Amino acid sequence: MTALIETRSISKAYRGVPAVNQVSFTLERGEIHALLGENGAGKSTLTKMMAGVVQPTGGELLVDGRAVTYANPAEALRDGIVMVFQETSLVPSMTVAQNLYLGDESFFNRLRGLYIAAQQFLQSLNFNVDPWATVATLGAAKKQMVEIARAVRQNARVIIFDEPTASLTPEEKHHFFALIRRLTARGVSIVFISHALEEALQISDRITILRDGEHVSTDLAANFSRERIIREMVGRDLTGALYSRSRARLPGKPALDVRNLSMGQAVRNNSFTVYSGQVTGVFGLIGSGRTETAKIVAGILKRDFFHGGEVRIGADPVRYRVPRAAILDGVCYVTEDRKLEGFFETMSIAENLQMGELTARSHSGFVLRMAEMQTLADEWRNRLAIRSGDADARVIELSGGNQQKVVIAKSLVQKPSVIIFDEPTRGVDVGAIAEIHALINRLADDGLAVMVISSYLPEILNLSDRILVSQRGRIVEEFSPETATQENIMYAAVH
Amino acid sequence: MSSADRAAFSQEKIVLTIAAAMFVAFSLLLDGFFTAGNIVSLVQNVSILGVLGVGMALTIIGRGIDLSMVANMAISVAWVLFLANGGTPLPLAILCGLAFCLTVGLLNGILIAYLEIPAIFATLAMGTAVYGFGQSMLIEGDVIFVPRTEAWFKAIGGSTIMGIPSPVIWFAAIGAAVAALLGFTRPGRFIFGMGDNPLAARITGVPMRPMMVAQYVASSLIAFAAGVFTATLVDSMNTRVAASTLIYDVILVAVIGGIGLSGGKGGVRNVVVGTLLIGTLLNGMTIMDVPYTVQNIVKSLILLVAIVTDSILNPRDEQTSQQGDI
Ligand SMILES: Nc1ncnc2c1ncn2[C@@H]1O[C@H](COP(=O)(O)OP(=O)(O)OP(=O)(O)O)[C@@H](O)[C@H]1O
Ligand SMILES: [Mg+2]
Repeated sequence: MTALIETRSISKAYRGVPAVNQVSFTLERGEIHALLGENGAGKSTLTKMMAGVVQPTGGELLVDGRAVTYANPAEALRDGIVMVFQETSLVPSMTVAQNLYLGDESFFNRLRGLYIAAQQFLQSLNFNVDPWATVATLGAAKKQMVEIARAVRQNARVIIFDEPTASLTPEEKHHFFALIRRLTARGVSIVFISHALEEALQISDRITILRDGEHVSTDLAANFSRERIIREMVGRDLTGALYSRSRARLPGKPALDVRNLSMGQAVRNNSFTVYSGQVTGVFGLIGSGRTETAKIVAGILKRDFFHGGEVRIGADPVRYRVPRAAILDGVCYVTEDRKLEGFFETMSIAENLQMGELTARSHSGFVLRMAEMQTLADEWRNRLAIRSGDADARVIELSGGNQQKVVIAKSLVQKPSVIIFDEPTRGVDVGAIAEIHALINRLADDGLAVMVISSYLPEILNLSDRILVSQRGRIVEEFSPETATQENIMYAAVH
Repeated sequence: MSSADRAAFSQEKIVLTIAAAMFVAFSLLLDGFFTAGNIVSLVQNVSILGVLGVGMALTIIGRGIDLSMVANMAISVAWVLFLANGGTPLPLAILCGLAFCLTVGLLNGILIAYLEIPAIFATLAMGTAVYGFGQSMLIEGDVIFVPRTEAWFKAIGGSTIMGIPSPVIWFAAIGAAVAALLGFTRPGRFIFGMGDNPLAARITGVPMRPMMVAQYVASSLIAFAAGVFTATLVDSMNTRVAASTLIYDVILVAVIGGIGLSGGKGGVRNVVVGTLLIGTLLNGMTIMDVPYTVQNIVKSLILLVAIVTDSILNPRDEQTSQQGDI
């Protein structure tokens, strides 16, 4: 029997630089196929070619053994191939049912019928989503369910997920995996891109590894181990360097002191302290008010006017009205949503870093120094191993993980004394995670007060000198990394 | 070439080619197009449009727009002339006009930056208010003439230097100054950052509000300058221009050259290219005696063609377009 999708020596080059180079890949019916590789290895590009989002510059794409060329995603959809991006494509102001039947004119006349049909359809998939709910009010996992439901309703035979689990809580992940297993039972094939290697090992039937745009290996998941995956992804052994930590650092002076901070329902009477020379990890489920707290500290959001609590930087009480004021005091927030509020997409890496340089508190002067901008870019490209097709590439053209590194570098250029990382390694490959972790450790060694917000427990356990657990808008518990276990942190976060 | 330029590059090239082709075609086909007199008047008229276009570009690149430019220019300069005709010493009258247009720019900036009113509404309302206020409180009559006595004043826009009309020189000077500002200074980078991604600019620590105010003050000052050039070139200021479609020509000049309305894209070079195209086109059509309404249709068709060609040559990433950015 022919494979459902087969690529034969398929290639894609951007301005002559190959992103995917002669990759042969097959997808069988009803399988879950994980696609792994470093940032910029070409995973997204390969799958975008299958889904008609971009067009190959060489090689062949076969669906059901038939050579096809898709000019756009609609044509791929006609063959039942759908790609679900990490950023969802739902219309936030519409209800779930309206989103499901978007573009299906016959239903517009019978509004109630729409909801009943949606309800029945969601139930048939065993999805617990309210069809009357507005999409904007849904959590990440529910949005993903709606997206999947829409794909299934469009008779998808192949669903491609690009980093679907990056923004899910552990419990939501669980649901998600159960869900895609149900889908495969219905005969749907899944391509699944992820940087969480354990997930890939656990969920997939087969694994394909790409490196620098080239195919490295394809094998049954059972034949892979974490070590083998990393070796093949990176091209050398790396396991020793990963996740090794030294003794916890002792606290320096209190650098950031938050007392009874409140903002509406999101942050409620939150109190904690961050010390310089230390990494303070903040764990919590998504929606536990961590991001909001950090944003209030950094002047991006405003606390309640009455009884909003107090923030002290060093010994001084502060109430920043704009982020600029915080940055001038050396307080930086590195966003979790790089695309929305992290980088400048039409600018190059150098120009992005320059924006950090120009807004830094140490910067004075009016006229730009272009040569410095180039050295700055070269320096950070080396330090964080930022990979781009060519040096002039716009940041929007970088792979997701490399965009993340640009955003981190842009903040570090500002030489802050208090830095808050919000999910610093979302969508970043194992090698780069190690690099970013080493960098964060070095910052703390240099005496900065570092706060790391993460929903990924191993990250918190490995990085933190102190672990704070947030739940429903406030810090509820503190652990030391020596005594903390995954279980008791999780317990504190949920109960 | 920086990467920000690259995005706007192809549309710029297309427009430049069209402008050149049109210039050649008009020269060959139209009597009286390729004559010294006509070429001088073409560049002269187009220079003032270009100066306004540069001011507009400054706001559009920062993801704003200034629809009050033409009204501001007409009223502030007409008031200068009116005061001077009424006996006020000309330098003092100029200071008054300058103060007026500065105030308008400041108000625009405050409305947009601090009261967070969308630029398009704030400046639209401001333009109407300025025109109404000026007509009813500041000046009498529509057409105000330049006082006969002050030769130095008339020389600003009405002289030639080595055969080049002075508005052309002013356009070059103002264009060069703004290009230097955008390309080589800190505020210039901030404007690009604000246009590219306002949320990121804010979080990165760009002083958004002061920058916005500065932008609208700058566009007001440029409008005043354009007004002075116009008045001294044609010896009068007709305030009815505020109610004409001139403001759309200004936007057209900026956008057609490749300055994206969604901000963060383009530069002065794009304005120059757009100005050349629109200038040649308008001049050619005037010689051909094309009715005014038809001229407007042609202009809008050209704009559509430029935008469509650009979107074909620079297809957007699917993942990007899903974000629903304007
Ligand atoms: N539109 C584009 N223009 C130019 N280069 C691009 C474009 N899209 C991707 N690239 C380049 O192609 C290469 C592969 O990118 P791709 O997005 O496929 O990587 P990826 O494996 O998905 O990485 P990540 O894990 O970071 O998401 C990268 O070097 C990237 O810079
Ligand atoms: Mg990717």
